[in-house]
Amino acid sequence: MKLNTAHLIPDAGVSGSVASRAESVLRLTGLTKSFGAVRALRGVSFDLKAGEVHALLGENGAGKSTLIKVIAGAHAPDAGTLEVFGHPVDRLDPATAHRLGIACIYQQPALFPDLTVAENIGLRLEPATAVRWIDPVQQKSCAVEWLRRIGAEISPDSEVRELSMPEQQLVEIACALGAGARIVIMDEPTSSLTQREVERLFAVVRDLRRQGVGIIYISHRLEEIFALADRVTVLRDGESVGTFPVRDSRNQPALTEAELIRWMVGREVSQLYPPATGAPGDIVLSVSGLGCAAAGVHSVDLQVRSGEILGLAGLVGAGRTELARVLFGLTPADSGEIRWRGRVVRIRSPREAIAQGIAYVPEDRRRHGVILEMPVAHNLTLAVHRTLFPGGWLLPKAEGVLAGEWIGRLGIKTDGPQAPVGSLSGGNQQKVALGRWLVTKPGLLILDEPTQGVDVGAKGEIHQIIRGLAADGLAVVLISSDLPEVLGMSDRIAVMRGGTVVTVLPGGSTASAVMAAALGQPPDGTGV
Amino acid sequence: MNPPALQIRTGSRSRPWLRSELLLLGVLIVESLVFARTGTHFATVGNALEILRLSVEIGLLAVVMTPVILTGGIDLSVGSLLGLCAVCFGKLWRDGGLAWPVAALATLGIGGMAGGLNAVLITRLRLPPLIVTLGSLSLFRGLAEAITRGVDNFTGFPPSFLMWGQGYFGGVIPAQAPLGIAVMIGVGLLVHATSLGRSLRAIGFSPEGARYAGVPVGRQITVVYLLSGVAAALAALVYVARVGQAKADAGTGYELLAITAVVLGGTSIFGGTGSVFGTVLGVATLAVLRNGLQLSDQPGELAGILTGVFLLTVLAGEMAFKKYSARRVASGMLQTSTASSKPASS
Repeated sequence: MKLNTAHLIPDAGVSGSVASRAESVLRLTGLTKSFGAVRALRGVSFDLKAGEVHALLGENGAGKSTLIKVIAGAHAPDAGTLEVFGHPVDRLDPATAHRLGIACIYQQPALFPDLTVAENIGLRLEPATAVRWIDPVQQKSCAVEWLRRIGAEISPDSEVRELSMPEQQLVEIACALGAGARIVIMDEPTSSLTQREVERLFAVVRDLRRQGVGIIYISHRLEEIFALADRVTVLRDGESVGTFPVRDSRNQPALTEAELIRWMVGREVSQLYPPATGAPGDIVLSVSGLGCAAAGVHSVDLQVRSGEILGLAGLVGAGRTELARVLFGLTPADSGEIRWRGRVVRIRSPREAIAQGIAYVPEDRRRHGVILEMPVAHNLTLAVHRTLFPGGWLLPKAEGVLAGEWIGRLGIKTDGPQAPVGSLSGGNQQKVALGRWLVTKPGLLILDEPTQGVDVGAKGEIHQIIRGLAADGLAVVLISSDLPEVLGMSDRIAVMRGGTVVTVLPGGSTASAVMAAALGQPPDGTGV
Repeated sequence: MNPPALQIRTGSRSRPWLRSELLLLGVLIVESLVFARTGTHFATVGNALEILRLSVEIGLLAVVMTPVILTGGIDLSVGSLLGLCAVCFGKLWRDGGLAWPVAALATLGIGGMAGGLNAVLITRLRLPPLIVTLGSLSLFRGLAEAITRGVDNFTGFPPSFLMWGQGYFGGVIPAQAPLGIAVMIGVGLLVHATSLGRSLRAIGFSPEGARYAGVPVGRQITVVYLLSGVAAALAALVYVARVGQAKADAGTGYELLAITAVVLGGTSIFGGTGSVFGTVLGVATLAVLRNGLQLSDQPGELAGILTGVFLLTVLAGEMAFKKYSARRVASGMLQTSTASSKPASS
């Protein structure tokens, strides 16, 4: 096995300044991509130069993941052009992207845990023929060489499962470089790293930049962008707000964090959300010092009143779903106190949560929210077996009446109560998932991303339903990564960061204030 | 409420097992017609009852295996447990000096405990049922051999006990038949008419989905493996009463016959769909096949070959139907799946 390594030997003759390498290694123009009714990218243009770190910034759902998936060849764009090293590329699939020298390093490294580091690197670098001879000695020396080049102190003989997350990322980087990558995409590489590990990773990234590799760097941490990036492109609602240099000619910061936040959020909250009605009632649920080590949630203080919608905002990974799972008994709390209507209660299982009157519509509708193969009627009654069928015998008549009633009330479009939920559209599946819990007549309803993957029409209907439930005195906790939705629907907004609630903002707070709290920045005060 | 026509249409769509049951019923009728021509004394009431008499043990195992497989699990240990329960019963009666009804009750308890062991390993340690019961398959058979040291054979049971395997009510109805039919009806009601049966299907389709709906998944899985253990003990008693002796090798391979009957009856090995009626048809198809071939003077090997052909035919049919309905469902879900595959970028 012979590897072509010439392209990676640092070019001693070139200073490494950005100016001398100004040619674009990657240029995207007018990229458009839709998924059903959702327009993920709307005419995004983007370019990457050799030897630069280009940060990609945006809210959850702004289109960052879609963009990098297009670059990595995982998604074909609907429209737009792609140029790699100055050559237009018509069709980009993962194999072509790989051959062109594009490598993507995801948050979760995709290595074989049972193989050694050397075997993993070898697998990526060897030509993919049906039968291959493996020379363990050469495989190992090759691995040693690539690991040395990125300055990673990892034994090539250790099994990947024994490595920490950052070490696995370094192995991924070694694989990418070994395969001759000239364009490296890093998707939130620091999300699970400690400060020291972050610094080591930065050193590697800077080294790659010196070697002329173009790096697309995605992170929610603004300070990293200032520490590392040469330019930043901000995405919002699938469009590019613009590309800005991070530093000016005198190497001073050319941007402020407040500006970046405003660009990321930068829009009026639409007035399409149904208005709040009436004042909130008594405190239904009150938790103090609530924590669950297994779920990564700690010291949460929170109160929810009947008749109010409490928004739970935060970045992905801030612990919102995890908190909901603790309250619903899926991962029971191991510290703190839960008071339900003033009484201290313990919630050790979903069954106990349901008995108290807590309902949870989970984020992953298809896996957790409904049982796709089962009929609509059976899904609607699954959580009320004990009250609907008190003797344990199924009562098809009572079930049919109840199912029919809720299909009508929620406007579920279905062939009939016996149609499997899997045959329904996403929005109607979501209504079934919601209906299952409304049937239990809960006191508190936790909604986790209730409108994700739902078309625009059904989204509005679901918003109306939620507002109507609150008006009827239900306490609602609304988890959503869709910031306008949280702002538009919530009476109060609890912001989570790092597994705990960092602040509770009043309704009518600005998007900037929420984003700033979610990012751990002081609010800029200017609002949007 | 919907017009009746609509309900019939959607009803049959939600119960695809109905198709395999009809298919199987056709197979059963055809094979009976063939054997009625080729076999001597096949088409007699006496022979039908004899088939019933010989199928009770496998029937008990298969009927109770149905809810196990409905949850997406499997119990490979029932054949070995039948052997263990048989020798335990013999030991308790002969060497323990217990009256046979007491020994029989104790045997049922042993079966329940053995099923409970499977259940604990599956629900507490989260081990796959296939592995757990593969282990207990060896364990139970090994214990049976240890108790008999591989050679002991319990015989000489009192007539009042043997009657339950060899006697006839009114000189016509085999004594074990009412027992088998009662269990069949009981489990049929449990699976099809109780909320527990509904939850078992939910678990089979999606254990996580069931958990998120508040179904006590662990507890309900425990119930089905407990029942499976007790059924194996019951089958052991019927077996010993029928053959009049209890050896360590009793019931060898019965677990595979039971699983074959369940799957032949249209219960999905992946869980969720299936019926006790289908299982009963499956047991009948296999029993009629063996009996008919015997009465037609055909070699016994043919039974194995034909069982295999039937099973693979039914499974292929089930798969083809699944693909067909999946395509229909997919057209309805297309928009959802693409929309949710748009990751909330972050």
